[in-house]
Amino acid sequence: MTATETPGQPGQPGRHESAEGTGRQRLHPLSPLLHGAKSLFVIVAALSWQTLNQLGPVHFGIVVLVLAVGALIFSLISWWNTGYQVVARELRINEGLVWRRHRAIPLDRLQSVELRRPLLAQLTGLAELRLEVVGGSKTEAPLAYLSVREAAALRERLLDLSGRTPESAVAPSADPAAGTPGAAPLFSVRNRELLISQLLTPQAFLLPIGVAWVITQFVMEGSWTFIGIASTVTAMAGVLLQPIRRVLRDWSFRLARDPGGRLLLRYGLTETRSQVVPLHRVQAVRITWPFLWRLNGWLYLQLDVAGYDAPEHGNDTGSDRLLPVGDQHAARFLIGTVLPGVDLTTLATSPPPERVRWLHPIGLRFLGAGLYPDVLVTREGRVSREMTLVPYARLQSVRVTQGPLQRLLRLATVYADAAGGRSAVARDRDVAEAWALADELVRRARRARRVPPSSAPAADPPPAAPAEPGQPDDDPFWQRPARA
Amino acid sequence: MPTAVDALQPWPDTVQWHPVSRKLITVELIGLAIWQGILVIGLGVGWLIGRQWGWLAGIAAVLLLGLWRATVAVRAVRAWGYAERDNDLLVRHGLVIRRLSIVPYARMQFVDVTAGPIERAFGLATVQLHTAAAASDAQVPGLPPEEAARLRDRLTALGEDRAEGL
Repeated sequence: MTATETPGQPGQPGRHESAEGTGRQRLHPLSPLLHGAKSLFVIVAALSWQTLNQLGPVHFGIVVLVLAVGALIFSLISWWNTGYQVVARELRINEGLVWRRHRAIPLDRLQSVELRRPLLAQLTGLAELRLEVVGGSKTEAPLAYLSVREAAALRERLLDLSGRTPESAVAPSADPAAGTPGAAPLFSVRNRELLISQLLTPQAFLLPIGVAWVITQFVMEGSWTFIGIASTVTAMAGVLLQPIRRVLRDWSFRLARDPGGRLLLRYGLTETRSQVVPLHRVQAVRITWPFLWRLNGWLYLQLDVAGYDAPEHGNDTGSDRLLPVGDQHAARFLIGTVLPGVDLTTLATSPPPERVRWLHPIGLRFLGAGLYPDVLVTREGRVSREMTLVPYARLQSVRVTQGPLQRLLRLATVYADAAGGRSAVARDRDVAEAWALADELVRRARRARRVPPSSAPAADPPPAAPAEPGQPDDDPFWQRPARA
Repeated sequence: MPTAVDALQPWPDTVQWHPVSRKLITVELIGLAIWQGILVIGLGVGWLIGRQWGWLAGIAAVLLLGLWRATVAVRAVRAWGYAERDNDLLVRHGLVIRRLSIVPYARMQFVDVTAGPIERAFGLATVQLHTAAAASDAQVPGLPPEEAARLRDRLTALGEDRAEGL
């Protein structure tokens, strides 16, 4: 393959054109082994303790062995048939034996790149490269596995190619093999705080009760079979898994910023992840104050990037952490970095009208919405408080809904949808205010789009902030219409 | 009719709402009738086999529910409307829970035009606008084919001046 079939994009420096000629590349030869080992875990887990009990250890071992060999052969074949290639501004991946799949991923749609190293990959010096592309419901194209050096180089190259501005394609990583360009460290989370924070979760609090219950159960029955204990331990682990997984995942969390203004995140113990997020790809930021963390005034921050599918509550597999645990100062600093011009301490919201008490008897004051020059701020949640920031420039659509009860009380809810899957929700506003809010959001989004939203990944805050004419009329806008 | 502020009539001076075709009512009713028919036949067979009054009660319940759903469907179709403003498409729908979506043309990722078998028989189509946010729902059912084509072309033309929807 040569680059000639796709002549260089207009306005794109021809720097990479010569390098594009690289032929189809395979993944690292060790990857089938790793995949095989991974499926071994799955097999053992699927067979469960019950099967072990029924078959006896020898037969069990044989079954596992047969399945493992099968998995290994399968991954070997799929490795042989998998290849990737960078052609012009596309990454092409072909894979599959029975169902062949050729995918061309346009790199200007690239949202973020993550380099994951699970435990086994760490031991063998390999890494997995995951690309987030708009429109993919799941992570598109995980390239597993590459050598770390190769993966880092490929990541740099992909990010370079995806850069919208020519400067970013030329400036930062002249030496792609270096892997990590000279990044300025921004922030790091102390592991002690991470541990404490995860001890302050409902699961950790409930554990002693569970253990006590199980022990009394055993003492009462007086039967201490291996299977019983093993099953109990497995069940315990299931409950405890979430906090433990979070600790392992967010271990030694470090944030940095590279000269191109992109955010570099690096964290994990058994599986290290290193993520690169261009700042203009940030769709929304959510701040959460979990109930038990309020003792310490802690919170965590999540980052929405288009391409991650809508994260569910308690789903921890996604890589959407901006800050696993931290205090107000850290959050303020990071939000100021990610959304230039936004100061967490000044983000006040106005509550919905008093009659919303009929719908939410308690915790009314934790509902609210506020318009700021660059972002929409909404708050909700009684026990665990949440605040969502959506920059107007990233707003996808606005929705207004009104249920029957809301109609009785002349209320409506305004949703501001962002591409990352989360919406900012201004719940139960007065109807007139809701319409005004929706209208204002649409207008501000349009204005923010017209001003190219901090398109240069330069470190400076975007020029939009001072030029924004929205600020003065904020106050009158939020004066609620006179109540009848 | 509209009081000072009606939930379904925002900015009444600036927006001209287009209703969807009344033929959609027929389509909805036929679809409903088919389901009703299947359920009633199923329950009727049960009655023929079992000869218990419970089956008849079931049929009565299904028919009542069908009647209620038919009235809702008729009113829901009347509640559906869309408006094209300079920069965005407005879609309102819903009866019990009323919804209004505002989708800027610039945010459009792609447009779907679909038509089911009954819809096709009545010469109707559904236009759906997709943005990068999964939550956005801007769907306009019950459009005559030429109107659907016009809307589709207008949406794509307006969306084109921006290559990137993010």
